Amino acid sequence: MSLSTPLLWVALPMVVAAVCVVFHKRRILGIILTTLTAFGLALLAVFFPENLTLSFGPLTFVFEESLMILGRQISLAYNILPFIAFIFAMSGLWVLSSNLPGVPVTFRPISLVVTAFLTAALGVQPFLYAALLIQTAVLVSIPMLDTVKNKGYQGVFRYLSFMTIAMPFILIAGWLLTGVVILPPESPLVGQTAVVLGLGFALLLAVFPFHSWVAMVSQHSHPTVVSFLLFILPTTILIFGLNFFNRYAFLRTSAEIFNIIRIIGTLMIVFGGIWTAVQDHLKRAFGYATLVETGFSLLALGLSAEGGLNWMLMLFPARALGYWLWGYSLARFETHCGSLEISEIQGFGRQFPLLSAGLILAQLSIAGLPLLASFPIKIVLLTQTISVGARLGAWSFIGNLGLFLLTIRVLVKLTMPTAGTFGIDGEPVGRWPTSERRSEYLPVVLLVLALVVIGLFPDVILSGITRILTAFPQLQ
Amino acid sequence: MLTLSTLAFVLIVMAAMINLIIRDWRITAGALAVQYLAAFVLVTLSWPIGMAVVKLIAGWMATAAIAFSWHSSSNQRQHKNSLPISESTASLFFRGVAGLLIVLLIFILSPALQARVFPQVDLMIIQGGLMLMSMALMQLGTNSDPYLMIISLLSFLMGFEVIHAALELSTLLTGLFVVVNLGLALVGVYFMVSPGDEEAQHEP
Repeated sequence: MSLSTPLLWVALPMVVAAVCVVFHKRRILGIILTTLTAFGLALLAVFFPENLTLSFGPLTFVFEESLMILGRQISLAYNILPFIAFIFAMSGLWVLSSNLPGVPVTFRPISLVVTAFLTAALGVQPFLYAALLIQTAVLVSIPMLDTVKNKGYQGVFRYLSFMTIAMPFILIAGWLLTGVVILPPESPLVGQTAVVLGLGFALLLAVFPFHSWVAMVSQHSHPTVVSFLLFILPTTILIFGLNFFNRYAFLRTSAEIFNIIRIIGTLMIVFGGIWTAVQDHLKRAFGYATLVETGFSLLALGLSAEGGLNWMLMLFPARALGYWLWGYSLARFETHCGSLEISEIQGFGRQFPLLSAGLILAQLSIAGLPLLASFPIKIVLLTQTISVGARLGAWSFIGNLGLFLLTIRVLVKLTMPTAGTFGIDGEPVGRWPTSERRSEYLPVVLLVLALVVIGLFPDVILSGITRILTAFPQLQ
Repeated sequence: MLTLSTLAFVLIVMAAMINLIIRDWRITAGALAVQYLAAFVLVTLSWPIGMAVVKLIAGWMATAAIAFSWHSSSNQRQHKNSLPISESTASLFFRGVAGLLIVLLIFILSPALQARVFPQVDLMIIQGGLMLMSMALMQLGTNSDPYLMIISLLSFLMGFEVIHAALELSTLLTGLFVVVNLGLALVGVYFMVSPGDEEAQHEP
């Protein structure tokens, strides 16, 4: 058997995951193995030569970009490698933090397997079969959500149900599309096919009204796991969705379709923003905030003609780092506070100022505060939305304020003194009794620095990921 | 072949109705197995038997996995014969009427769907597939038990596979469907095992 890129980025992570499962009691070994694999594969994807030939001294390895399986092929071309590098690097980052208290032991191998399946989904030919690989990734992800113990399985089943129901829609839409391309645009079957396809993606992306599982899963699972899942699934599904626009001219030339996508994106931002602002549970608030982010991705997709695809892609790294920091901070909060109800975190900021700053800055970065990572892209996106349709732009802006409002509520509660910190005169007394350890706040400091650097130099850092558009020649 | 496919369709309707109405784990597992058998017959209308039998075997494996898991977990919980749901006659009646309405709806909609979207697919296949999918969705919406929810999802997929088999023949697709079916069954097994078993599996 000759070497091929799918063997590297699909088969190898699965083998490593299997080894981790076998040695699941050796925690440190598992962390080292999975982290090295994820970061190693990310680096390899970054530096992989265009001729797919690796030379180490006298040894030369020639890779093929396709792997035949049961008469079909998985093909990971050079063009898609930046995205593969991105998702593996982010998986590595999440795996690195898997030593946090409460993270299921299944998280490390499963996160690698999920990443591998989603990578395969990006390269399988015919590309429609990706729906089945995404479904497989969803099935594999269930044990790491680990809600059996706390009986929060209703959300997981809803997640599983929606994802399972989505798959037939995608497959049937794909089959219909093969016939629709020869029909005139005014044929009713064209519209019906677009509706079937839209329903499939709405289910996959948890678009309103199929969003209920997000908050339920977010509330009952570990923040590290949820933040990983809510980053990697929508991101890969959106890239998978680009295949349809790339392949079918009637989809990418239809102004109505892009208009509908913009409206749906705005609805997600508005509803998600309102729900985020009024949540009393920090983990549920995170779930709803991810819906806002899906809305922004859809909004950017709807602005394809204005260059929106570049912004959609550039939002991914900023969002991923924000999610990671948010998930990490919530996990630390949960360890120290026990509960993540906003009412329970009063005064926490005085005891753990850097962790609290991490949470606040993660939220503000996602929300698009100036100087932080998402700001340069979101401001362009909102400006462009206003220029295309003032009403949509205004609503998007208002919806985006939801996360700012939540952050203000959290900030007020975090800095509010607790009963024991008041003096006789009713004023807070003394220094803040901080009890943070360096190992806890160091990742926060590094990530905040990264978010600031991205916010200051967005073009330098974020523009690399837009190279994957070369994999979709019709969309460039 | 027409007689056989008609018989398979009748079996699908009966098994789907039983799955929708009755909550006894033995009966629902048996009905699911019968559904897989009937679906296999419908798939043979479009595929060679050698390929179609893969779906039957995978389906029965999934059925066996969840049924035996439920049996062993219910033994632990001292609920040997029935699911832990107290049923009123009204809820049985509601599900029965809902099932009959679905049957009626499928008979009305299927010919139009065949004419407009799937002209080359046998009407019996469309009716059988849609019947399974619709009944499964109804079942999914009327219960919250992991065992029944997994049965619903398996039935939903089975219905889709019946229709999709008439549209495309692919070994990889068949393999992926097997993985998804067995994966669903394993998720069901995962949720049916005792919660106490998971206690020791977290980081300190």
